[in-house]
Amino acid sequence: MTKTTTLSAPAPTAAAPDRKSRSRPTGRSPRSPRKRSSALLSKTGVTAMLGLAALYTLLPMLWLVLSSTKSRKDLFATNGFAPGKDFALFDNLSHLFQVDNGIYLRWLANTVLYAGVGALLATVFSVAAGYAFDKLAFPGKEKLFSFVLLGVMVPGTAMAIPLYLIAAKAGLVNTFWGVFVPGLVFPFGVYLARVFSAAYVPNEVLEAARMDGAGEFKAFCRIAFPMLAPAFVTIFLFQFTQIWNSFFLPLVMLSDKHLYPVNLGLYVWYSSALSQGHPQDYLLAVVGSLVSVAPLIVLFLMLQRYWKSGMTAGAVK
Amino acid sequence: MFRRRLTAMVCSVAALGLLATGCGGTDNGGSAAEKKTGEVTFWSFVKGSDKVAEAFNRTHPDIKVNFETVPSGQEYYSKLSNAVKAGTVPDVAVVEYPQLPEFATQGKLESLDGTLGPLVDKRFPQSTRKLVQLGGKTWGVPRDAAPLMLYYRNDFFKTHKIDVPKTWAEYRNMTERVKKADPKARGGVLYTDNPGLLSALTWQAGSQWFSTKKDAWKVSLDDAPSRKVADFWGDLARKDLVSSLSSLDPFWTSVQQNRTVAYVCASWCAGAQQATVADQKGKWAVAPVPTWDGKPASAMYGGSSFVVPKGAKNSGAAAEFIKWITTDPVGMKAWVSSGTSSMFPADPELVPVTKSAFPTDYFGGQDVYAVGSKSYDAVVPGWTWGPVMGTTNTAIIDQLPKVAEGNVKLSDVLTGAQKATVKDIQHRGMTLAP
Repeated sequence: MTKTTTLSAPAPTAAAPDRKSRSRPTGRSPRSPRKRSSALLSKTGVTAMLGLAALYTLLPMLWLVLSSTKSRKDLFATNGFAPGKDFALFDNLSHLFQVDNGIYLRWLANTVLYAGVGALLATVFSVAAGYAFDKLAFPGKEKLFSFVLLGVMVPGTAMAIPLYLIAAKAGLVNTFWGVFVPGLVFPFGVYLARVFSAAYVPNEVLEAARMDGAGEFKAFCRIAFPMLAPAFVTIFLFQFTQIWNSFFLPLVMLSDKHLYPVNLGLYVWYSSALSQGHPQDYLLAVVGSLVSVAPLIVLFLMLQRYWKSGMTAGAVK
Repeated sequence: MFRRRLTAMVCSVAALGLLATGCGGTDNGGSAAEKKTGEVTFWSFVKGSDKVAEAFNRTHPDIKVNFETVPSGQEYYSKLSNAVKAGTVPDVAVVEYPQLPEFATQGKLESLDGTLGPLVDKRFPQSTRKLVQLGGKTWGVPRDAAPLMLYYRNDFFKTHKIDVPKTWAEYRNMTERVKKADPKARGGVLYTDNPGLLSALTWQAGSQWFSTKKDAWKVSLDDAPSRKVADFWGDLARKDLVSSLSSLDPFWTSVQQNRTVAYVCASWCAGAQQATVADQKGKWAVAPVPTWDGKPASAMYGGSSFVVPKGAKNSGAAAEFIKWITTDPVGMKAWVSSGTSSMFPADPELVPVTKSAFPTDYFGGQDVYAVGSKSYDAVVPGWTWGPVMGTTNTAIIDQLPKVAEGNVKLSDVLTGAQKATVKDIQHRGMTLAP
């Protein structure tokens, strides 16, 4: 520090460290350098911001990847962002899939059923309902639609307890259906599907289909549905991640560990591992988390194209 | 053996006015309590629960216990609470001591007076009974006690000629010497995410955060002993003589990396220490927890009890199961069959059972249970947990990390928690003592 100031002091222009503040009054006459510097500044600024955001999202992931490769001792003995002394990823993985008679695979399969099949059906219902709201005329349509919007407003977590109380009456507590059935209802998907339908399915096409003798159902299945493919993928991904991440509903609804989705199972391992002297469960939760994010990443990469086109659709109209 | 007609004591809520909502449900407990057969659903997050259920099923052909693993922490208590609301409760559930009054005052537990009350009176010391009895009734049966001890690195203390502290003044001295001996090492920890140890230390100093007078709750989180403890630990944390860490992996990382060479914890920490930092075998030792005046005094950090939630369908068989897993030597043995638990039974008669199952080599052959027994005997009687511990704990945890930074005084954290607790008790319609 002291060296640079003594060096720059005899210089005729302002000292180097002060460039930012001085550049405004002095650099008024030559226009282009100023423009360039501000453009450069905003560019670096934006890049730096994006870099920070990337770090913010990637650092936990890095910790997860590195920690999964560590032995139990290294997990505590080494820095979280440095590799461990032993490479124990494969030991950890085989332990993960074997522990408790392979309960982890069971949890993964449950999650695929809850989130995968659940979201698929929810999307079919949403698209059909959204399409109906957009294209068909029936009494009380707008009133019904405001009901749907009401459903959009209520956050999912707030619904967990009422759903649980209803499920208790229906005898669905601690069953597969207790978590699966609520996942089939997706009001935001209905709303999205209506917007998509208005944007993607021209009325003329449906007119033509009807003229050619197609019934309403056939027109929807054969003509409208394929046109709504990007909507389908978008809604599917939305609902899939929502069910995948839903925690409180399975927490209250399920107590049989064979029905747990993977996030609840990991939480059971994590929550009592360290306080009860079972650090191996802590490591299991770490490795299990890594394995459980993999399907999500694959799914997003596969469906990225549709997802992107879906995000901007309707923006112009 | 301890059968008494439940119907005779049908919800005598009047007698325990401090139970805000009391029990409104139907009372078909009379016949259910008599029956000691059938299926029992059992919720627990305590390690070894699966083994205990298996062992019970082997020895009790008339009762079938179905064990279900649940997560621990606040999530579990909201799950249990909602299960009572919906009428889908298990027959037996684990509840830690701090949470028990909250469930009892909200009428979410079956009273055990007609079944296990006499057993609790007979088998457990008064300080522990006080944790499961409220308003003159018994609401749970203690499984383990968690008396405080001091854990320290024998090798480190020997090399640097540091004495094991007997009083808190000596403890402070010890933390200074540890830091001088190794600038990275600390002689203690103030947890940033867990108020349990702090409350135990105030309990040991003679504080009584909660007490009941007739129908009313008295809350005194910031009474004189409590402030003394808070000032002591707040100062240690601010001067960086003890580290300020989360009790989860940051704490164990610090132990593994030789940065924590002494800490106060309960009996169960011995098992956790042995399993989590296995390679420091032989380096650790335990000592009685330091006291203010040098005379033995202790308290509990943790511990759990078993309850029968309101609406349980098979409370008779449930009581039979609870009795076996808390007071039967065979049942107690099943808890520690894995050999990794240093659980300290709340029933003093069963200490030999758990002691024989816990290997002593990690602590260099030292009799950890003897230290535990002395500590258990010295637990200051009279401590009761409060009716809104969720609120109390949250109010403390929110502020705890700021103590080491010097922005907040630890005694002010307790004053803040006092206000939050009083407010929530009023909000829930319970009475406060003037």
